[in-house]
Amino acid sequence: MNRLNTQISGIRLDNPFILASGILDENGYTMKRVLDEGAAAVVTKSIGISERSGYRTPVVVEIDGRNMINAIGLANPGIDNFGEEMKIARESMKPVIGSVFGSTAEEFAQLSMKMEAYGASAIELNLSCPHVKGFGQEVGSDPDLVESIVGEVKRSVKIPVFAKLSPNISDMLEIAKAAEKADAYVLINTVKAMAIDIYARMPVLSNSFGGLSGPCIKPVGIRYVYEVKRETGKEIIGVGGIRTGEDALEYIMAGASCVEIGTAVHSDGRDIFKKLSLETGNIMKSEKIESIGEIIGAAIRR
Amino acid sequence: MMHSEVIDVEDNTPTVKTIYFEWKQEAKPGQFIMAWVPGTGEIPISLSSTDTIKSITVKSYGPASDAITKLKRGSRIFFRGPYGRPFSTVSGPALLIGGGSGMASLRPLITKDTDAIVSARTAAELLFSDRIMGGKLFEVTDDGSAGIRGNPIDALSTIDLEKYKMTYVCGPEIMLKKVFDFLNRSQIRAEFAMERLMKCGIGVCDSCSVDGFQLCRDGSIFSIEELRGMTEFGRTKLTESGKRIYLNY
Ligand SMILES: Cc1cc2nc3c(=O)[nH]c(=O)nc-3n(C[C@H](O)[C@H](O)[C@H](O)COP(=O)(O)O)c2cc1C
Ligand code: FES
Repeated sequence: MNRLNTQISGIRLDNPFILASGILDENGYTMKRVLDEGAAAVVTKSIGISERSGYRTPVVVEIDGRNMINAIGLANPGIDNFGEEMKIARESMKPVIGSVFGSTAEEFAQLSMKMEAYGASAIELNLSCPHVKGFGQEVGSDPDLVESIVGEVKRSVKIPVFAKLSPNISDMLEIAKAAEKADAYVLINTVKAMAIDIYARMPVLSNSFGGLSGPCIKPVGIRYVYEVKRETGKEIIGVGGIRTGEDALEYIMAGASCVEIGTAVHSDGRDIFKKLSLETGNIMKSEKIESIGEIIGAAIRR
Repeated sequence: MMHSEVIDVEDNTPTVKTIYFEWKQEAKPGQFIMAWVPGTGEIPISLSSTDTIKSITVKSYGPASDAITKLKRGSRIFFRGPYGRPFSTVSGPALLIGGGSGMASLRPLITKDTDAIVSARTAAELLFSDRIMGGKLFEVTDDGSAGIRGNPIDALSTIDLEKYKMTYVCGPEIMLKKVFDFLNRSQIRAEFAMERLMKCGIGVCDSCSVDGFQLCRDGSIFSIEELRGMTEFGRTKLTESGKRIYLNY
């Protein structure tokens, strides 16, 4: 067995690196290429009931080459138009995780059932997009609603269900507990932020606000993974600012079973997946770590 | 976001203008910038000059491009870039094939050694055919108001292509596909500038991808060999929402 093998909710992964939702995952051919080039699995971009064009450009702001703020605005073709992309992506024979967003438990359940029918290996519930009214974090900050969404989706599908939570709320643990019927948590989504161009005297993003991602949010992600793992013991997928093997191992020692990679695809290109596997494998070898499983949560102090 | 001052505006055709601005950054033919009109939008535009003085050549087709065509000398222009993989440069004779505003990204490749096929719907819309210096010029129009009536293939089929070190092609995808199909039978070296919707320009949003390659990063210039393996080229693309549509040629 390869020391990089791991698993999440029974889904076997060749390595701990999954493409995060919203990055290179709208076109089936792109997901297939990212999988063929070394990602263990991909998460689709978040898909809703109806087609949305998203916000006007600018939808991203680059910050010193490695970090960014985005407000894509949940652009998506609508679930009924997404079957072909799923089919193309699944030709890679690796797990494709379907990310969905809605505003009610019924919508989430309907979307999840369609993703399951398209062959998704798991569902990721977007309870955390920070920049669209009526969706994401607005839904994900109401514990009663979160509980009913997770409950309804769990009743509706057989595949594992992951709850992706927001760092932009006062008490993530309260929401994590409300979502405890989920098979795993995905932590974290972007941190709500903005950028102003002083020469234009205006916010750069057309939506003014967006979500900050990249290495600058890693310490925030590490803290949430650590805390939620320590308090709930549940499986966690770590996301936020991972670019190197050291970053990945830090998340795993904080409690993650595997990790998702987003913004590093911008700074390092699609090659990031091969690079991460290589670096992580080398560190594990020199640190005499035989498997990912043996270090999950290794840093947690009680 | 960077900004600079517009130093000149040139009318090229009744609908196309070239905006000149100073930007010392090194950039190569085939690369593009994301030009921002604060409060209106941001769009990808190829550089039509790549020296210290840069330029973009713009046709009004939406709110942001319309606002750019209205920039005046002294206005501020906001942008980021340069992005994309450039054309490869060769020494010796080359052929340019430009359709409509596609000539914009080919302009920096013009030398005394380049021949060109410049095509457009009408004579008035032929772009930069007055810039071809020394080399042979073939004009092609849909309506026959100048040069050959028809499409670039009607000119291409009269030319001995063997003598060119490289053929550079830029224009609407339907034209690229026709030129590709024509050249595909030969051993000609050719590079094509492709176009897709671009939202981020930096390889994350997936709106510009063709067969898993991001035009904003891996392109927008692709060699004829690279295009050969692509299932999406000339066949399908995604809209703003990510919905797949079929190109019916
Ligand atoms: C351009 C962009 C689009 C995103 N779209 C989504 C999305 O549709 N759904 C979602 O759950 N997260 C989305 N995210 C958040 C990422 O999945 C991830 O949680 C976040 O970027 C932190 O990871 P990173 O620092 O590795 O990018 C998006 C992020 C970026 C940069
Ligand atoms: S424009 Fe976003 S990936 Fe190319």
